Amino acid sequence: MSTAASYLSAVSQADARARKLSDTDSTTSTPALSLSSSVTSSSTETVLDDAPFENLDGLSYPKVPPTSEQVFKTVHSEFGHCANESFRYTARYQPGGQFARPEQEPPHYVLLSTYLSYLLLICVGHLRDFIGKRMRPSSYKHLMKQDGYMALNSDFDSFYTRRLMLRIDDCFFQPVTGVPGRTIVLLDRSSPDYNITYYPTGTRTRALNISSYNYLGFAQATGGCADAVEESVRRYGVAACGTRLEGGSLDLHLQAEALVARFIGTEDALISSMGFATNSTIIPALVSKGSLVISDELNHASIRFGVRLSGANVRMFKHNNMESLEQLLREVISQGQPKTHRPWKKILVIVEGLYSMEGNLCNLPAVLELKKKYKFYLFVDEAHSIGALGPHGRGVCDYFGINPRSVDILMGTFTKSFGAAGGYIAGNKNIIDRLRTSGHTGAYAEAMTPPVLTQVIASTASIMGISIQDKNSSLQSQAVAYPGPVPSSALPPWMPLAPTMIDGTDGAMRLRRLAFNARYLNRALRLLGFLTYGNDDSPVVPLLLFNPGKMAVFARLMRTRATPIVVVIVAYPATPLVTSRVRFCLSASHTKEDIDTVLTACDEIGDLLDLKQGTCGRWPLEEIMARAVEIVQMKEMP
Amino acid sequence: MSTTTAALEPVFTFLASTYGTLETNFYKIPGSHVVARYVKSSHQNDPGRTVLEIMLFIFAVRTLLQSRTRADRSGKHFIKFDEKEIDELVDEWTPEPLGAELTSKEKAHLDAVPVIAGPTGPKPRLTTGKTVLNLASYNFTGLAGNETINQKAVEVLRRYGLGSCGPPGFYGTQDVHIQLEKDIADFLGTEASILYSQAFSTISSVIPAFSKRGDIIVADRGVNFAIQKGLQISRSTIRWYDHNDLHSLEQVLESVEKERRKKGLPLTRRFIVTEGIFDCDGLISDLPKLVELKNKYKYRLILDESISFGTIGRTGRGLTELYNVPATQVDMLVGSVANGLAAGGGFCAGSSIVVNHQRINGTSFVFSAAMPAMLAVAASEGINILRNTPSILTSLQENIRAIHSVLDKVDCITIPSHPASATIHLWVRLPSPTHLSPTAPVSSGKPSNPLSVIPRDPMQFDYDLEEKLLQDIVEEALAQGVMITRAKTLRGQELTEVRPSIRIAVTSALSKKDCEKAANVVKAAFIKVVGRRR
Ligand SMILES: Cc1ncc(COP(=O)(O)O)c(C=O)c1O
Repeated sequence: MSTAASYLSAVSQADARARKLSDTDSTTSTPALSLSSSVTSSSTETVLDDAPFENLDGLSYPKVPPTSEQVFKTVHSEFGHCANESFRYTARYQPGGQFARPEQEPPHYVLLSTYLSYLLLICVGHLRDFIGKRMRPSSYKHLMKQDGYMALNSDFDSFYTRRLMLRIDDCFFQPVTGVPGRTIVLLDRSSPDYNITYYPTGTRTRALNISSYNYLGFAQATGGCADAVEESVRRYGVAACGTRLEGGSLDLHLQAEALVARFIGTEDALISSMGFATNSTIIPALVSKGSLVISDELNHASIRFGVRLSGANVRMFKHNNMESLEQLLREVISQGQPKTHRPWKKILVIVEGLYSMEGNLCNLPAVLELKKKYKFYLFVDEAHSIGALGPHGRGVCDYFGINPRSVDILMGTFTKSFGAAGGYIAGNKNIIDRLRTSGHTGAYAEAMTPPVLTQVIASTASIMGISIQDKNSSLQSQAVAYPGPVPSSALPPWMPLAPTMIDGTDGAMRLRRLAFNARYLNRALRLLGFLTYGNDDSPVVPLLLFNPGKMAVFARLMRTRATPIVVVIVAYPATPLVTSRVRFCLSASHTKEDIDTVLTACDEIGDLLDLKQGTCGRWPLEEIMARAVEIVQMKEMP
Repeated sequence: MSTTTAALEPVFTFLASTYGTLETNFYKIPGSHVVARYVKSSHQNDPGRTVLEIMLFIFAVRTLLQSRTRADRSGKHFIKFDEKEIDELVDEWTPEPLGAELTSKEKAHLDAVPVIAGPTGPKPRLTTGKTVLNLASYNFTGLAGNETINQKAVEVLRRYGLGSCGPPGFYGTQDVHIQLEKDIADFLGTEASILYSQAFSTISSVIPAFSKRGDIIVADRGVNFAIQKGLQISRSTIRWYDHNDLHSLEQVLESVEKERRKKGLPLTRRFIVTEGIFDCDGLISDLPKLVELKNKYKYRLILDESISFGTIGRTGRGLTELYNVPATQVDMLVGSVANGLAAGGGFCAGSSIVVNHQRINGTSFVFSAAMPAMLAVAASEGINILRNTPSILTSLQENIRAIHSVLDKVDCITIPSHPASATIHLWVRLPSPTHLSPTAPVSSGKPSNPLSVIPRDPMQFDYDLEEKLLQDIVEEALAQGVMITRAKTLRGQELTEVRPSIRIAVTSALSKKDCEKAANVVKAAFIKVVGRRR
C-alpha cells in the first residue's frame, strides 16, 4: 500500500518537528504522536501534513506527553488526548438542588457606561451619516431611492448594521478550514477599509475552538464515524435526490428514524434535512388557526418562523418564568379565543431544552406539573441539549430523570452534538405519521443525504453502544425508558464498527468529559469573579461583557494570544441591549489543559477589561486549576 | 429601580438637548405655529385639558403600537373572572388531539411510498427487491453516484469531517462554502451568491429579507409552496397575476401603478415573484418578456429556478442560458443545489449588495448551521462536470423528447408541461361526456381580481377522482418496473387547489431506449387504469 509509506514518512516528519520542539522545551521524553485510528485511507497524510504549524501555539501536541501505556486513537488537534480518569463527571439534576442561580446585577457604573457607549455610538453614527451623505453621496447611493426604485435597504433600516455592527464585523463570518473540532484553522484576513471588504492574507492560524457546537466532539475527520461515512459515500454517493414522499426515500432514512426513536425513547421519529426547517415546517402541521401557541420569549428564530407560518395565535411568557406561564395559561384558557371567546382548539407550549444564548435549562419538571393541570401540549426544542445533557446523553428529560414520553413532541438537531446536519421530531406514532403527511418537509423539502444519515446513525450508535447478540434479548430492554445498547441488526450491515463504539466506551467517555468540562468552566469562571449566566452543567457558558466596546476587544485579544482562542460574541438584537456577552461552547474534545488555557486567557483579559464584576468568592487562578476536580465534584458552589 | 433611573440619566440629558433642536425644527414645519398656539391657548384656559389631550394622544399611539402578541387585558373583550371560575373553566376545557389520526387514504398513500435500498440512481433496487427504472427522483443530470464526486467527497470527509457545527456567522463558513458560492456566481455570471442549507427553506427566507410590510409583491398564481410561505412571512401587499400569463402581469403592474398615483402613495419596494420552470405543471416562464416588464415598471425580479437550474440551457445554467438573458438582469435568482447539482441546499445569486444583505437578514441563513463541507464540494464538482460536458444536457433533452413522443398523443393524458422541461406533468384526461372538459374553462374574457389568488375562471377538475386514478397508475407502473410519483402537494395548505398530476423527472442517466420503454409502461398504466373506469 503506497499510502502506508507516505503515512510513515509523514509520521516521521511530524516526529522530527515535535522533537525539535521539545528540545527547546528542554523536555527529554519523546513526544507521543497522535495516531490516527484509520490507516485505511490516504487522508492520514493530510491530517499530519496539513499543518504548516509548528507547535508554537501549543495546540498540536499535548503539553504532557502520554506514557507508553496510553494509546490515543484520535488526532489531538481534533479531539484532545486526556487520559486522566478523574477529569470525568456525570451530570444529573439533584432534586432539591439549586435550579437557577439568582441573577447577579452588575455595578451601576457598568450599566451607565454601557448606555453611554451606545449613545455615543449612535450619535457618532448619525453624524457620520450626516456628513457622509454630503461629502460622499456615491457611497450612500444604494441606500437611497434611485431611478424609480426604492432602496433595498434604507439608510434608516441599516443604521445598526452599518454604524454599530460594522465596527466589530471582523469578529463574525471568519472563514475557516478543516475540522471544526477541538481546534480550528482560521484563514486569516485583513481589511483595508475598516471591515467593508476583506482580503485573505494567505496565512492560517490554528486556534483553540471554544465556539463550535461540537458538544460531543463528533466533528472528526478520523475515527469510527468518519470511517462509517466514508463507506457510505462509496456505497450510496452523496445525494438522496428528491423529497421523502416523491422518490427520495432510502432504506437509510428508515434505519436512522428507527434508531433516533430508540435513542430518544419515543415510539417514532422523523428526520428532516435542516434543523431550522424542522421547526419552521413542522409546527404549521401541529397548530393552525384557532389554536394558541405559548412560546418562551427567548425561543429560537426557527420556532417563531414556524409559528408565524402556522397562522395560530401566539402569546409569550417571560423567559423560564413559571409564574408568568401559569398566569398566562389561566388567562388564555378562561378567555378563550379573542373576540369570540370560543375555547381554543388546542394550546401548544413551546420551550427549549437548553437556551443557547443564556446557558440555562428549561424548568421541565415545573412545566410538566402545569401540563397536568392545564392540559396543554408540550413541544421541547432540544437543539442544544440532545446529546449534551443527561447521564445517557438523552437531553433534558434524561437530565431531570423524566420519561421522554411525557413530553408530546421532542425536537432536536443533528448539527450540534452529532456533528452532522438536519433535525428530528420524536413523539408517538400517530403524531409522527401525521407530520410525515401534513408537514411541509415530506412533500416539498429535499430528503437528508446518505452521508449525513450515516453520521447520524454512527454517532447515535456510538453514544448508545451496540449489542452484537441476537435480536430477542434486545426486545425486553425496550421496556426501559432508555434501552441499552442498540442491536447491531438495527444498523446498516455494511457499517464498519469500531470496538470502542461497540462496547459503548467511546460514547460514555464523550459524555463524561463534556460534563466535566462544562461544570469546570462554569464554576471556575465564577470563582475568578466573572459574571456568567446559566446552569452549572450547561455546555454553553455566556460570560457577560456589557460594554459594546469590550466585545470586539475581548474577541481580538483572545484570537491574538500565543495560543489563539476563537470565541463567539453576541450582542443586540440576539440579546438585550445591555447584556452583550461572549459565549463559550464546550466540547468533549477539550482537555482540562484547554480549559485551563481558556481560564488563563480570561483571567488576564478580564483584569485588563475590568470584567470581574461578580460577587462570588474569589479564588486565585492557580488554586482553581489545581483543585479542578474538587470544584467539579462540589455539590454547591463555595 | 434606582439602577434604571441612574442608567436612564444620560438618556434624559440627551433628550433635553435634542428638545432644543426639535423645537427649532418644529417651527420650520408649515402650519406648526397654529398647532403651537392652539396648545398654548388651550393650556392657559384649562391646564387639565392639556393633560387629558396628552393622555389621549399617548393612548392612541399605544393602541396603534400594540402588537397582537400582547395581552389585551384592558381591551373591551376582556371578561373578568375570579380564581374559582378560572379553575372551573380550566377543568372544563378539553383540547383537540394534537395530531389527527391519518385517514385510511392517507395511510395507504404513506405506505405506498417506495423506498430505495442502497444508492439512488437511474435503476435503483427497492426494498421490495425489485429493480426499477427511476423516473421519480430528481437526478436530472445523472450526477448522483458519480465516481469523481464520490472520490472528492471522501477526500473532503478526511479533511473536514462531516458537519460544520456552527452557523455561517460563527465559524461555520468554511473555505469550501466560499468556493461554492463563487462557483455558482461564476457559473451563472452574477456578482455573488449565498448558500442556504436547504433548498426548500431558501426562497422563504429570501423574500422576507427584502420585502417588508407595505412593500408590493406581484406574484404568479401558480407559484410553489415555498414561495407562498415566503410571501406569507413577508407580510407585504400581494397582487396576483394569472398563471404564466404575462399579459395579465402587465395589467396588474399597470393597475398597481395607477392606484399608487391615484392615492399618492409613496414609493415602496416592488417585486415580481415567479418561477423559471413551474413546480406545479412544468411550464416555462418567458424570461425576456419578464425582464422587459420589470424594467419598464421598475420592479425587481425574484426568480425561483429550483427546477430549471441544472436542467435547462446548453450547460444547465437555467433559464438565463436558455434565453440568453444575462443573469444580472434577474435581481434575485434562487436555485436549488439539491435538485440541480444532486447535493444539498439552495442558493440565491445576485449582486453583492443583494447577497450581503441576506447574510444579516436571511433568517434561515443566519440561524442555521452551514451545510456540510462534503455537500458543498460535491456541488462544486457538479458544476465543473456540467460546464465541461454539454453532452449531458443534450442527452437529457433527447430523453425528454423521447418521453414526450410516447405520451403526447395518448387520449387519456394531458401534458401541461413545456416540451423542454425536465419535469413532465401528466394529468388524467377523462373522456366521459359526464365530465366537463377540464382543460378548457369557459373564459369570460374579463381579467381576474389581482387581490385574490383564485383566478376568475379556475380550472375545473374532480380532485379526489383524479388523485385516486393517478395513484393507481403510479402503483401499476411500479408493478411493471417503472418508478414514478404523483406530485405530492398539501391540499388545504396550498393557496389554490393544485391539479393532481404525475410528475416524471427525466434523467440523462437513462438511455433513450430505457426512457421510451419506461414511457410505454406509463402509457399502458394510464390506458389500463383509466380504461378500467370506463
Ligand atoms: C433552539 C434551536 N433550534 C433550531 C436550531 C436550528 O438548527 P440548525 O442549525 O440545524 O438548522 C438552532 C440552531 O441554532 C437552535 O438553537
